[in-house]
Amino acid sequence: MNALRQKSMAIAFAGVALLASGAAQARDLMIVGFGGPFQDNARVALFQGYSKATNTPVKDDVYNGEMAKVYAMVKSGDVTYDVIMVEAPELVRGCEDGIFEKMDWSVVKKNKFIEGGTSNCGAGAVLWGVTLFYDPAKVPNGPDTYAKLWDTKTYPGKRLLRNSPKTTLEIALLADGVPPADVYKVLATPAGQKRAFDKLDQIKPQLMWWKSGTQPVQLIASGDATYAVGFTGRIVRANEGGSKYPLLWKTLLYSVDYWAVVKGSPNAKEGMKMVEWITDSKPLLTLAETYAVSPANKEAAANPALSVKNPGMLSSHVADGLFINTEFWVANGEDLEQKFNAWQAK
Amino acid sequence: MASRANLFAAALIAPLLILVVASFIVPLLVTLYTAIGNPEVRATLPRTTAAVRAWNGEGLPPEAAYAAIAAELAQAQEGQSIGQLSRRLNFEQLGMRALLLKTARASDHLAAPYKDALIALDARWGDPELWRLVRRNTSALTSLFLLRSLDLTLTPEGTVAQASKDDAVFRALFYRTFEISFWVTVLCVVLGYPVAYTLSTLPQRWANIAMALVLIPFWTSILVRTTAWFILLQREGPVNALLQALHIVDAPVTMIFTRFAVYVAMVHVLLPFVILPLYSVMKGIDPVYMRAAASMGAPGWKRFLRIYLPMTMPGVAAGALMVFMLSVGFYVTPALVGGPDDQMVSYFIAFFTNTTINWGMAAALASLLLIMTGVLVAVARLIVPGFGSAAVRL
Repeated sequence: MNALRQKSMAIAFAGVALLASGAAQARDLMIVGFGGPFQDNARVALFQGYSKATNTPVKDDVYNGEMAKVYAMVKSGDVTYDVIMVEAPELVRGCEDGIFEKMDWSVVKKNKFIEGGTSNCGAGAVLWGVTLFYDPAKVPNGPDTYAKLWDTKTYPGKRLLRNSPKTTLEIALLADGVPPADVYKVLATPAGQKRAFDKLDQIKPQLMWWKSGTQPVQLIASGDATYAVGFTGRIVRANEGGSKYPLLWKTLLYSVDYWAVVKGSPNAKEGMKMVEWITDSKPLLTLAETYAVSPANKEAAANPALSVKNPGMLSSHVADGLFINTEFWVANGEDLEQKFNAWQAK
Repeated sequence: MASRANLFAAALIAPLLILVVASFIVPLLVTLYTAIGNPEVRATLPRTTAAVRAWNGEGLPPEAAYAAIAAELAQAQEGQSIGQLSRRLNFEQLGMRALLLKTARASDHLAAPYKDALIALDARWGDPELWRLVRRNTSALTSLFLLRSLDLTLTPEGTVAQASKDDAVFRALFYRTFEISFWVTVLCVVLGYPVAYTLSTLPQRWANIAMALVLIPFWTSILVRTTAWFILLQREGPVNALLQALHIVDAPVTMIFTRFAVYVAMVHVLLPFVILPLYSVMKGIDPVYMRAAASMGAPGWKRFLRIYLPMTMPGVAAGALMVFMLSVGFYVTPALVGGPDDQMVSYFIAFFTNTTINWGMAAALASLLLIMTGVLVAVARLIVPGFGSAAVRL
């Protein structure tokens, strides 16, 4: 009865997507990422690299990180994704929910990853982070700390933050002088949450919010925002295209994206082997030839050639940054999202 | 003969019937059920459910309940089913997730008597409130999602209370959704009426060209049209450039991420839905009525108010109804060009479906939106002239 209900629920929420994908059948290994320039380059260096090395046909697809489709797939038993890139909180949640297979550490070598690069159901793929940036052509000496970002007299103009409590509340506390090591301890208490929202209140009229990762660079370029906190990968990309945005590593907040194998995948075994291959330092260094990647592989990250070549490589700057606490956001995310929404609407 | 004809007719409509049942009635019922279903505790902790149901709710439950929950949490952790349970109870009371995971992780080291062992592990297991919370969630149905969707909450005693000010989002959200939809509908009718009238009076050749100007945007994807507005309205976009060139403003005006942008883009997207039904109604009005009124000496405004407007009311009602219903469910346009306080209910339905995977909340918001819209439309049918026949004219 319960299975039937879950099944019909899954169909109701993702019916169209699943009807389109057809019945489960023997098919090529399917790897799914967030798209963008990373995936365009990873397709050649990692996916096709694996395909050639093992003579296995591999296809890839793009999703935008929304887990509903994957949940519906697993619950309806019609799994069309095999290996998938996920953000840390989604990985932990999906692992507890039985959406991902537990990593087979006899296939994937656990000791090759950086600290925090492994999880029960995931193997670290790349690091990602956000930093403060602005256009020096318009603001010659912009703020270089979050405390200064709150100084609206010295630095007038709109501030663009992510439309999510995640990163925003941390930034508010950092701006209020909380030491990075204590941010999550403070944020776990109601008084600390109030402190963060009160801090945001001080500059609320100057705040704007971005929803998609492409927006910070766009809105800084269009002049709609004067200062923004955006993905470092996008900032580096814009600089390669001629922009001169400063990379303020002292304002870095970062986390890891993981590879996971979807539960019930008919290619689960093959998927594990692929995860092992694409997290090895050799293919990652090949990828680094064409794309500024920040691998979660220790050996690749430590390669001196890579950090010289890639100014945006996060692993050289993690000492300056704040690691976004996955467990904190899995436990408190939903509550803080609601408080954040209520605060925004006030 | 007759029965064979009936069978044939039934076979003809069977695909439609199956489509309606499969794509409309079943999902609708499932959504309504998801809004009140409460399967997590019963499915994941069946023995605990039996044990706390046997308990009278006074003091602490018996040892059997403690033993059952320790064993079943460990099983759930191993079987990767603890996530839904812990999230469900965490949604009810913060901190439950951490407690359940901690207990599941420690279960290898726990030994009988489990009551003492669990309380020693975490004092919250000795709190009767916590056990009453578990007990309350062993029932098959819950009102929690619907209450939360109305900024209400359940107290430990089981009574309904207002949510704290820091958590209250949804009443304002429903109000905003209907407010935006109402004004979009009014603007569409006011702008669409003269357009439809002009279309209906133009000579055929010009009418075809003008109609194409209405239809081509209508056939263009909503996403494309909304993105176009995004580009037009941004700070260094063409609209600001024009305003500055004409010296109407000195500095660029912020238009993107405002309610203004939402109204502009939504009215543009929805305008054809009021023009098309109005046009078809206006085309069907015999000019002889207006001429008759004129011959009786009625002035132009009176001819319009007494003759033309009442005859076009079914078109107004059909168009307005369609625009209103579509506005209520709008998602892409406010999400792209609106700010955080311009978002409508659909934004939060998508948010709960995709981001937090809380399908109970998504279904509760959807169900309430459906009910409220149904009630509003029913009231409108009673009080607005011409509304009753709207469905027929559609």
